[in-house]
Amino acid sequence: MSPRAGEGEAVIVGAEVVAGHDGSAELVVRLRHANGAEAPLVLDEEAGLRLMRNCGASHVDDLAGQSWRRILEGS
Amino acid sequence: MFDVIVRGGLVVDGSGQPGFQGDVAVKDGRIAAVGRVEGEARQVVDAAGRVVAPGFIDPHTHFDVQLLWDGAARPALEHGVTCVVPGNCSLSLAPLKAADRPRVVGMFQQIEEMPPEAFTTAFDWTWEDFAGYRAAIEKALSINVAPLVGHSVIRLWVMGPAAQERAATPDEIAAMQDLLRQCLDAGAVGLSTSFVDIDENGRPVPSRFAQFEELDALAAVLGEYGRMLQCVPEFYATDITIARIDQFAELSLKHNIPTTFSPLFDTSAVPDNAPRAIARVEEQFARGARVWPQMQTRPIDISFSLLRPSLFFARLPRWVRVLRLPLEARLAALRDPDTVAKLVADTGPDGGEAMMGRLILRGGDAAPAELAGKTLSEIAKARGQVPAQALIDLSLEHGLDVAFLSASQGHQSTDRIGPMLAHPLVHIGASDGGAHIASFSTYGDTGYLFSEFVRKGRHLSLEQAVAKITGETADIWGLKDRGRLQPGLAADIVVFDAETIDREAELPTFDMPGDGMRYVRAARGIDTVLVNGEVAYANGAYTEARAGVVCV
Repeated sequence: MSPRAGEGEAVIVGAEVVAGHDGSAELVVRLRHANGAEAPLVLDEEAGLRLMRNCGASHVDDLAGQSWRRILEGS
Repeated sequence: MFDVIVRGGLVVDGSGQPGFQGDVAVKDGRIAAVGRVEGEARQVVDAAGRVVAPGFIDPHTHFDVQLLWDGAARPALEHGVTCVVPGNCSLSLAPLKAADRPRVVGMFQQIEEMPPEAFTTAFDWTWEDFAGYRAAIEKALSINVAPLVGHSVIRLWVMGPAAQERAATPDEIAAMQDLLRQCLDAGAVGLSTSFVDIDENGRPVPSRFAQFEELDALAAVLGEYGRMLQCVPEFYATDITIARIDQFAELSLKHNIPTTFSPLFDTSAVPDNAPRAIARVEEQFARGARVWPQMQTRPIDISFSLLRPSLFFARLPRWVRVLRLPLEARLAALRDPDTVAKLVADTGPDGGEAMMGRLILRGGDAAPAELAGKTLSEIAKARGQVPAQALIDLSLEHGLDVAFLSASQGHQSTDRIGPMLAHPLVHIGASDGGAHIASFSTYGDTGYLFSEFVRKGRHLSLEQAVAKITGETADIWGLKDRGRLQPGLAADIVVFDAETIDREAELPTFDMPGDGMRYVRAARGIDTVLVNGEVAYANGAYTEARAGVVCV
């Protein structure tokens, strides 16, 4: 599977670590869909860390440009 | 002869109308007169220079357990709160069969973070049904309680372990309806459900296995009584939250019931989350539905130590399992190299750098003072360890009494949140009082409302803020006897200083059963609190009054 987003599918355009309601850290990933619409996706700590690991990311900024499919890998 | 006269204060009566100088007289637990009151009283409370308001109502708490040994729900009462709503998020302590207690205790521990002793030594389980629980807490209440009954426990009562496995049959749904009627007859103010919460093993709570037909049937019962349906929606996703708003609007319209959802909070990462949800609420109210979004006033912080389980580790089942062990067994596990290696491995290949590196050592406990304010990443590097290992070792070296703070920001922009709190369709609540006790303080949100959004931000007038957490809350919940300073209503009264009312700094205390720790905030600017006409708190101290009731 390509590490970068393919044509016609959603791509990660940004990510941010935030405080969740219950006091746990969460990763908010912003996806840009093929039609240009953008929408946030909230990942819990486990999914967020897994996504960063899948992408070889050492910082959330490194996630930009990655395919949304990376979120599913290893889940 | 009155029982009490509160004299010479600025009467802010909970209606939202301008305050006026006057007196409030109390007789037989009820407000007897408001205005210039002639006559004498057995007790006079001097309110000169102070505000006299209805007692505050906290509509989202988890005091279900604490009320069994602490009828004041401390420190809620000293903040001016005279009525709490426990039983939120699908969980209550009744109806609950004896055989199902361990399962529900695990769910409560996941949310409340109460120590095990809170369930084993602090009270006797004398009940199974809702009426029995009501009787158990009514023995020594200083504060009023308007309890919800939890969907998850209703499901568990009817379905047993299958409640966490499958949808209900028509017969089971009918049995749940009958059980809900019993609870409402026994004093429940509504039903709570959750689409989000998990138990201590990471499994969805029972309410999450319900199909819509089940929720619709239970809402029909609520319609027979005109009672509230509360839910925790999928608040992490705006679109799904909006779908829940629509679903609850349909239930509200179909069964003529009020509904409320919580939490709704603001976050810089998704700045349109709260505005979009509120816009949908406006549309649904315009149709005649009642779907009240609850928004908290306080920003979100995290604090914890290894003395108690914390939601900080909620996604790390092995950490949670170890931290739930009795103290000696927990210490042994944290000293066991194999166990620790697995714990560290669980935090990821970076040894917890991403998850824990930004934690700040809090201080104020057994931690070395020179480390206070440093990040765990800095401490770990100085020790030549990965953060997770450093967290464990540092905690072990100081009897686990080392607290860490995650200053991750959430719901922190006063200029964004103020106008939302002032919105006529936003219900101020979601304090979670009595929950997450080992992670952060859930007390003093009312004081913060006045200090941050009335005095500092000026987003609400004094009268608006008081109405939001008194008269309007009582109206939303159908608490007809509460929320206003009007003759004939229950005499729940708070006397406070509008210039100083606030919450104090967050501090650890050890007042839970088994000397368990929790974080609390004391009140500032609260002079006197009356509950049903009796002074329950005055001059910085709780009294012996036990006038609280289960109110509907």
